[in-house]
Amino acid sequence: MATKITLNGESVTLEVADDTPLLWAIRDHAGLTGTKFGCGIGMCGACTVHINGRATRSCITPVSDVAGTSVTTIEGLGGEGAHPLQDAWVKAQAPQCGYCQSGQIMQAATLLQDFPNPTDEQINEVMSGNLCRCMAYVRIREAIHLASDAMGATASDAEEKADA
Amino acid sequence: MRKFVESLYNAATNGSRNEGTGITRRGFLIGSAGAGFTMAFTMSGLSLANPAEAAEKGLFEPTIWFRIEPDGKIVVNIVEAEMGQHVGTALARIVADELEADWDDVVLYYVDSDPKWGTMVTGGSWSVWQNFDTLSRAGAAGRQVLIEEGAKLLGVSPDQCRARDSQVLAGGRSVTYAQIVQAGNISRSFTDDELKKMPIKPPSERRLIGKDTLARDIPGKTNGEAIYGIDASVEGMVYGRPLIPPTRYGSTVDSVDDSQAKDVPGYQQTLVLDDPSGTVPGWAVVIADSVTAANKAAQKVKVNWTAGKTAKVTEKDILEEGRKLIADDSIGSLVVDDGDLKGTFDSADSVLEQEYITHSVLHFQMEPLNALAFKKDGRWEIHTGNQWQTLILPTLAKALGVKQEHIIMRTYLLGGGFGRRLNGDYAVPAALASKMLDKPVKLVFSREDDTRFDSIRSPSVQKLRMAFDADKRVIGMEHHATAGWPTQVMAPGFMPKGTNGEPFDPFSIQGADHWYSVGAQRLRAISNGLANDTFRPGWLRSVGSGWVNWALESFMDEAAHQAGQDPIDFRLGLLKAEGKNAGSAPNSVGGASRQANVLKRVRELSQWGQDMPADTALGVATSYGQERNMPTWTACVAKVHVDRDSGKVTLQHLTLVTDAGTVVHPDGARAQVEGAALWGASMALHEGTEIDNGEVKDHNLNSYQPMRMRDVPAMTVEFVDSTETSVGLGEPATTVVGPAIANAIFAAVGVRMRTIPIRREAVLEALKA
Amino acid sequence: MIKRVILGAVVILVVAAFIIVWNPSISRIDPPAAGAFKQADIDHGKVLAGLGNCGTCHTANDQKPFAGGVSFPTPFGTLYSANITPDPDTGIGHWSEEAFVRALREGVDREGEHLFPAFPYTHFTKVTDEDLHDLYAYLMTRDPVSQEKPANQLEFPFSLRPLQAGWKLLFFDDQRFEPNADKSDAWNRGAYIAEGLGHCTACHSPRNDFGAEQAGAAYDGALVDGWYAPALNASHSTPVAWTEEELYQYLRNGGSALHGVAAGSMAEVVHQGLAKAPDSDIHALATYFHDLSGADGTDAAEARKTAATAIRDAKAAGQRQMGHGEEIYAAACASCHANDPDSPNLLRPELSLNSAVTAPDPTNLLRVTLEGIDSPSGLDGVVMPAFHDALSDEDLVALADFLRKKVDRPAWKNLQARIGELRQP
Repeated sequence: MATKITLNGESVTLEVADDTPLLWAIRDHAGLTGTKFGCGIGMCGACTVHINGRATRSCITPVSDVAGTSVTTIEGLGGEGAHPLQDAWVKAQAPQCGYCQSGQIMQAATLLQDFPNPTDEQINEVMSGNLCRCMAYVRIREAIHLASDAMGATASDAEEKADA
Repeated sequence: MRKFVESLYNAATNGSRNEGTGITRRGFLIGSAGAGFTMAFTMSGLSLANPAEAAEKGLFEPTIWFRIEPDGKIVVNIVEAEMGQHVGTALARIVADELEADWDDVVLYYVDSDPKWGTMVTGGSWSVWQNFDTLSRAGAAGRQVLIEEGAKLLGVSPDQCRARDSQVLAGGRSVTYAQIVQAGNISRSFTDDELKKMPIKPPSERRLIGKDTLARDIPGKTNGEAIYGIDASVEGMVYGRPLIPPTRYGSTVDSVDDSQAKDVPGYQQTLVLDDPSGTVPGWAVVIADSVTAANKAAQKVKVNWTAGKTAKVTEKDILEEGRKLIADDSIGSLVVDDGDLKGTFDSADSVLEQEYITHSVLHFQMEPLNALAFKKDGRWEIHTGNQWQTLILPTLAKALGVKQEHIIMRTYLLGGGFGRRLNGDYAVPAALASKMLDKPVKLVFSREDDTRFDSIRSPSVQKLRMAFDADKRVIGMEHHATAGWPTQVMAPGFMPKGTNGEPFDPFSIQGADHWYSVGAQRLRAISNGLANDTFRPGWLRSVGSGWVNWALESFMDEAAHQAGQDPIDFRLGLLKAEGKNAGSAPNSVGGASRQANVLKRVRELSQWGQDMPADTALGVATSYGQERNMPTWTACVAKVHVDRDSGKVTLQHLTLVTDAGTVVHPDGARAQVEGAALWGASMALHEGTEIDNGEVKDHNLNSYQPMRMRDVPAMTVEFVDSTETSVGLGEPATTVVGPAIANAIFAAVGVRMRTIPIRREAVLEALKA
Repeated sequence: MIKRVILGAVVILVVAAFIIVWNPSISRIDPPAAGAFKQADIDHGKVLAGLGNCGTCHTANDQKPFAGGVSFPTPFGTLYSANITPDPDTGIGHWSEEAFVRALREGVDREGEHLFPAFPYTHFTKVTDEDLHDLYAYLMTRDPVSQEKPANQLEFPFSLRPLQAGWKLLFFDDQRFEPNADKSDAWNRGAYIAEGLGHCTACHSPRNDFGAEQAGAAYDGALVDGWYAPALNASHSTPVAWTEEELYQYLRNGGSALHGVAAGSMAEVVHQGLAKAPDSDIHALATYFHDLSGADGTDAAEARKTAATAIRDAKAAGQRQMGHGEEIYAAACASCHANDPDSPNLLRPELSLNSAVTAPDPTNLLRVTLEGIDSPSGLDGVVMPAFHDALSDEDLVALADFLRKKVDRPAWKNLQARIGELRQP
């Protein structure tokens, strides 16, 4: 009835039934509301968080399944500052109602981890699990490309420095 | 037509005149909101104008729309709901431009319900159009006073001063707005007449309107800080999960067996609601310590209902009913009845007649319905995202048995509106449960609850006829449309009367009173009673024009082919700015010529007339939006490819040209067109459900498939550069995409689809036929 | 089939009546004192217990390791594993090493009763004296747990232990492992582990009507304990043959990019059993299974090429499919499972290469989809959500059909019924 996880870098014990969806443990028990409830069946992506750094649908993941893992929500994605994706999201003015965007950004972070320079086809494949009802897709795609460029630039800067 | 739209508009904007406060949205009297620095609505009752009190607090609050604080912060009150349109940014830009404010000083404040705001409604793509003038003059009034006061401080006369970037400047000297407010004791008020006469700047002097800026609501939507209704909480609240009866109306609870739910830790009880307002008949609500406990218990509580009389109704029944209604000439409301229709059709050389169908559509806004209700200090508080507070407040009052003045609706961001939250019915069960328990209740719908309780876009049936003379010229047209009528069910006072004296739902026929000159014309709107009884019809992004323009623009394409003309040329031939289609100031200046203009422009942008690969083609559609008095001139060309083997339609490209007059926030406007157009595409190719056994068949995303990333076409979006009156943008693009796609399918493979959604199987069948 | 089995059982019973079925009891000993064993032996025993995966079958409750009580549903009834902690009353505290060795080598308990072959003595008989000693040393130095073994619930006549004598006569070969001189040391080490303590065929081979591994069908794949153990020989269903490196990755870390992720009971084998073994043993197993798969000369580059083609083909086939299953896949699966054909990512298990999709049995795909994969299972820290309450039977059938079409395999039959069974708690 108690599950220990690391949540955004802090150790927390969630005193909830083992089969409580991680989503509600995060929202109602840990009090972080940036992660959203959309469909409850893992098909809209609004509830996406990172479990050990990978995007996972929290609404159908029982909290006991993630015991001992490190869970990151939108509130903790950037650490101290903003994640390049969050900057890109603002730059592209991607959100409309914004409700799906936490999940979109968390999913996009894993996309860029796995595909640092994603093609449109790869964006389609990975991001089609995240529904945006405002249909802000054009800008979400644009923001992903912007972030990819920014992160690539940062990476190549670091390489240049390392080379020097 | 124009007359009813105006009356509608007046009703929407001047509702508070009946409240006896003397404060209206249009003629803002000057006064403080009376709440002090943070402007939280902690004071009960009405806040009458009191500039002196504001002055005591060191504020400058010349109108209820904004105030300036001693540190120079300019707080603009936003009365509209923020649901993705970045409306707060657009409205504040209007104020700030006239006020000559430094945009960085501007802060948005989203207000709670209060009679002083007049009718609170966010819908119809009205927000900017409706507020532009008011807010401009409010800003201008503020600027005038600041210049007068600044001049005193600078020791010059006001006419030597000008305002810019939150400063009053004279010669080489300046004083900031903050300093002016600090110098204090500004107490100025303006009468209605003074305000109406308040001059506003010519477009050439605008510094913010028409320029891009970052929307203020966006950063919080990227880092988890944005607070939506579902995030609302209050000490001591319990969670509710609805148990929704088999029919929208007429179901009664026979028995509740919660014996198995008692094993669920955190389960408290199941309430059977008794609703004096009749909003949620036959409802039960599971109460528990947490959302999860409520959800688990809800699976185990067995409710036996006696279902209402619509328990067996199907989509087919509703469509058949629609056909029957259309066949009966004696019913319905004649919205337009010009010329000798019968004579024209009798003498016609040829007549084109077609029927068009649209199926049920879910709102499926991302944030499932929810509401938090509780009583505090003798007053009810409803915390939820809502688009039309003024509509639901009387219903809540009836449900709770209290006066409307004793209910306040707190404002939250909406996780999608699209019209679903114009109908605030979801707040009622939360309030009733809270009243029964005497504690705060947070009602959170599951997605399945949300869709079952949706106010769907009604299925529709339409019949269109066109009469041609021997030269294939259009000489007459009739359009009969039937569907469930949201306005009849929820706001009958908003229904104007047709030429035959019969009332009609303006939202269910909007878009049909087009700007084509077609000779004799009849437009008949008919309410589908079976639809109204089976579900609560909803306003869904563009409402009636969503189905009306589907039929109209598909039909215009068929008519063009009948006339042997290019579909764009054919339309241009009918868009003559003369007679009733000449247009008038201020809203529809230019009339049909502006619609012709966007059509011509979309032709230039879209490779119209060029060779295409096999089974690939372009289709066109156009619209004036929803209301003749607020026309948003829109044209769209869709490029599609049809796979003959599977019937699959791939939407490859959308080109949209919009003339919305003055565009306040260009990037936000573009986002609205992008989203609206994709909504149109989604409804045409991906979505659509049907009524089965009295309720919608699809309850969640496993079977309901709105457009996703992979389905998104390339898009070209352009606005006509204009300084005409600002009109609305949230909806018009929704209405043109469906017919443009169907017209492109016809151009690509020669089959005519007259039903949306356009299913692959139907295309395949048509190809085989 | 039941009739045939009963007839067979009668035959065995008659045969057994004519042979000596009696085994002597071996004397009780006092539980060995702490310090009775060398630490090095105990440590090695721990590795062996891992290779034998003893803990999985003998631990029902993580708080009580080796205390038994795990149920094994079989066609003949339900068996329960024994308590193998050194508890004198309920465990093996009174067992001498001789008794322990006899149990592992001959399937006879200390008191002389035949053990059921759910306990894989048919494999453990191959294990060397030294290894059995060390395993004994390890088990006898565990914390004793007092826990009675639940009574087996077998149908008559299978409940008659003397029957087992006949069974052994037919299906049991009491013989130590013999190295193959034609093969490398690594191969022989791998074979020794796999065929002996590892008892891999116990799950990966189909069984006959008497519950014995079918002759001539070793590693053909089989449904065991609610999971499908896929074929590991040349009849494997996956598009890409195993390379040694892929096998090593899979057995060491629980997943490989060109095959997939260990789930269900294999997850326990990897994470709780093999995890204790040294790299050399894992490499040895990889050498052995690589040979077994008949994939001579498969190198990494070739495997990647085959995989790329398979993924591309599957993608193309997927795009030709339209309808419910495809839509479910796009919305619920592809976010985590879509790959670049040229570099499938271990952390994005590629379904078109995965035996869960290509095997003749749908169990693994359905169970993983329904139950998800928790943090201790699967790849380190990668969790899959559970779609139990998310997808309907109809959705799952459509999804499974779609995935099978994608990899150009015939549709699984009786899916609906199988889903119904697997949904039962």
